[in-house]
Amino acid sequence: MKRYSQYTIEVGDLWDVSFWKKADTMDLIYIVYGLFIVILVVVSYVLGALSLLPHNPQEINLELLMAPPNTAGHLLGTDFMGRDILSRLIIGIQAYFLPGLLAIAIALTAGTIFGVLAGYWGGGLDTTTTYISNLLNSFPRLVLILLMVAAFKPDIYTIMLVVGVTNIPAVASLIRSKILFLKQKNFIEAAMALGLKSWVIIFKHILWHNCRAILIIQATLGMAEAILMETSLSYLGFGVQEPTPSWGNMVQAGANYFMQGNFWPSTAPALAILFTILGFHLLGDGLNNILEGKRG
Amino acid sequence: MNSRPVLKIENLRTFFYSKGKRAFVRSVDGVNLRIGKGETLGIVGESGSGKSVTALSIMGLVPGEPGVIIGKIGLKTDNIQKNLLQDLRDYVKINMSTGRIMEVYKDNVGWQKNVDRVMQGIRGTEIAMIFQNPKLALNPFIPIGKQITESIRINTPIKKRSQARERAMYWLAKVKMDSPRLRYYNNPYGLSGGMCQRAMIAMALSSDPSLLIADEPTTGLDATIQSKIVDLLADLKSSVGVTTMLISHDINVIKALSDNVAVMYGGTLLEHGPVGIILSAEHQAKHPYTAALLESIPREKHIREKGYLQAIKGDVLDTINIPLGCRFYSRCDKVTEKIQEKCDNHEPDLREISSGHSLRCWLYYE
Amino acid sequence: MKLSAIRPIALLLARELAITALLILGVSFVVFIIIYLSPGDPFGTLLKGQTTLPNAPENIRGALGTPPAWYAQYLSWLVNMVQGDFGTSTRTGLPVLNEVIRVGINTLYLTIGSMMVTLLIAVPVALFAARRGQTPVNWVLTMLAYVLSALPVFWLGYIAIYISMHHFGLFPLAFASSAQKWSWLYFMFPVLVLGLSNGTTSEVVRFLREEMSRVFSEDYIRTARAKGASIWKHSFKEGFLIPITEIIASKIPFILGGAVVVEQVFNWPGMGRMAWQAAQDRDFPLIMGITLLAAVFVRMGSLLQRFVHILVNPRASKE
Repeated sequence: MKRYSQYTIEVGDLWDVSFWKKADTMDLIYIVYGLFIVILVVVSYVLGALSLLPHNPQEINLELLMAPPNTAGHLLGTDFMGRDILSRLIIGIQAYFLPGLLAIAIALTAGTIFGVLAGYWGGGLDTTTTYISNLLNSFPRLVLILLMVAAFKPDIYTIMLVVGVTNIPAVASLIRSKILFLKQKNFIEAAMALGLKSWVIIFKHILWHNCRAILIIQATLGMAEAILMETSLSYLGFGVQEPTPSWGNMVQAGANYFMQGNFWPSTAPALAILFTILGFHLLGDGLNNILEGKRG
Repeated sequence: MNSRPVLKIENLRTFFYSKGKRAFVRSVDGVNLRIGKGETLGIVGESGSGKSVTALSIMGLVPGEPGVIIGKIGLKTDNIQKNLLQDLRDYVKINMSTGRIMEVYKDNVGWQKNVDRVMQGIRGTEIAMIFQNPKLALNPFIPIGKQITESIRINTPIKKRSQARERAMYWLAKVKMDSPRLRYYNNPYGLSGGMCQRAMIAMALSSDPSLLIADEPTTGLDATIQSKIVDLLADLKSSVGVTTMLISHDINVIKALSDNVAVMYGGTLLEHGPVGIILSAEHQAKHPYTAALLESIPREKHIREKGYLQAIKGDVLDTINIPLGCRFYSRCDKVTEKIQEKCDNHEPDLREISSGHSLRCWLYYE
Repeated sequence: MKLSAIRPIALLLARELAITALLILGVSFVVFIIIYLSPGDPFGTLLKGQTTLPNAPENIRGALGTPPAWYAQYLSWLVNMVQGDFGTSTRTGLPVLNEVIRVGINTLYLTIGSMMVTLLIAVPVALFAARRGQTPVNWVLTMLAYVLSALPVFWLGYIAIYISMHHFGLFPLAFASSAQKWSWLYFMFPVLVLGLSNGTTSEVVRFLREEMSRVFSEDYIRTARAKGASIWKHSFKEGFLIPITEIIASKIPFILGGAVVVEQVFNWPGMGRMAWQAAQDRDFPLIMGITLLAAVFVRMGSLLQRFVHILVNPRASKE
């Protein structure tokens, strides 16, 4: 029995808003682009790991120096030593992919632990965690890494460990404020009143149901951070060393020829960095908008 | 109703678009009201009956989501005569013959800008408003006195800072704020809810408005503070005598302060008339909803007789799917078999049954 | 503000100062521990090639006595620092403090300048978006902020250098010689490059926009509209001043990190470049001094943010 009064308004075709006004559509575009980049990176990583490359990335071809894209079977051209840029870009992912995952794993695990300690139990633990976070936040990341480089001459995994550790405060503070928000809504008291055990509340109700979005978002942003750090370090000469390719040292190595007007060998890895980091950022922000309900 | 109206609302409709349900929420659906000069009109109804949205529509402060506002809000004061919805027609396309809304432009910001333009010189100056939750409604970063001074300098001929400050002090004293000279410098954070509401009232009255809209002025305050605020409002009514539109779900507040009462339900008026007729227990001829509202006031006698608090059965009307017939039909306990058919299928119109008293019920129609 | 309100605020400010001092102490400890744990033997490096006798190092060590325990080393280092003695650079032999302050000022120019550039781009976009919602112009600007944030800063630096070389005839070697016609451009380029692509533009836009739109929907802004007052005036403190100091303070570390790369690209004689040099040379006193100074910069930014927060926000005193 559905009978409604007059002025029943037809709304089917009313909602034809221009696409940039629709936050949802934009977020979906962000996410689709971001997922495309993530899949591209993962597939390239696997291809690189299995050495399924169009060319040998180390094969020097002095006949074909700095070829523009799409010459003689080189889809993205060749660099200043005639090496295939596409192959080097693909193999360059090896430089940051696993170390980046390590950084993410550290930041998420330790950040979650600290966040729960500070948010759930609070009190002195909260104060201590805040101080530790402030302490870690006091170091500019790259300067701290340079200090580590001076002290230990570390490999990329150790450096990513530092990146992960310095990312802990960000994750911890997000988890903490989420828990405080839940506490404000009397959500946790209600769960306690039902007689649930602390670990059930923390793992099931807080972390799984309320914090997984935050963790996924932080993972994507953490990957962007790791790429940025790896490329910066390789550029500075402390990361992966020539002739092993990494995006950072490819930009750096191409720089001399850049000044002579041969832009491509340096620009190709720079664009790879740009599109990849953009993808991870957009994925994180799009997910944030949709999952955490923040409207732009 | 004898004096000429300051505010005359005709067929006001305020709809919000609900994205989730892909339909319009019809918060206010065809309201007609007049407020005579010097009178206090009380609007009473349950939560969600559209009282506050009516007030916000008058002020052009309807929040956020794209929606529809149509109808006529005529304001006529000593200085100004204007339909407040005049230039807003352009944002809604209506089929004139059927009255159906064909298209709504969702340019929310453009709409807001337009409202701001229409309302320039009216907000604050001609119509002032008191909000609920005074602690949130006052700027927490600015001392209350400065907020009042700011309002005075914007809305009255007093432009000099020192004069405006003196005037603000005067109003703070007038609303019986204790030690106004000290409180002037306090941020809302350091004050109690009652004091904030006093400051809010002082701010609204300080600009000497032609119409005061008090939107649930006692909601969110402690019970003892509530009665003090009601006393203050009654006091100000006799001493300042500003035309007031008082919105409350608390019948006792309405009863204490208003001359006329309008009962709202499901976005429309069910009954409208002098307070003596509508809210007195003795007067029999009234809308079933009003009767049920009066029944639900906790009274010693009722509790002793029945042993429980009487509530109105059923839930508040879902304002998305408004039924074809009377809006109160599903909850009404006075339906007789004779009129049942009509109640279910035809919405009654607001008819005057005695002088100044009109209601919307088939029971009283011949 | 009444007199009675001033005392608790003074107490809060004093508390923030104490916390800052404590944190800087903590930073110095972390720096010390990292260097203390470093596997290298600076002493051995120093002796390498000096003598061919097999047991010479041990003899010399014995003659010098056993090194003091770690906490004694830390304390003596700390006491020296408090007295203004940060040691001498092992490479150049110059006192670290003077060196670090000299380059620190250059980096401060770079950092503050690029922060200005970032804000000049981000603030109008954010405010426009907060008030107007999404418009095509806004969408383009937001995407631009995203792209700028993702650009590798060194590559943008190369483009800038290329332009400066080919259009203005400037060369990156010439920082000190200001005789060239367009030399002021050479001061501008690093600032512009770091400001555009330090990776914080999109975050500043996002944060400011969200805070501002949140404040716009507060009840008190509605009250301001109801009395005909300017909503910008009423939202300024909570919607602009507090978030902007917050985001600036939290982004200083990122900008200092970006400065390392930009200084490298442009040969800008700042802290970052010196840190890079020191890391290559394993010049411990120098890199310790630089890390400490960088942390002090970060802490000063946070301190400023806390001060603004306390002075502006009446609720802060109740927290």
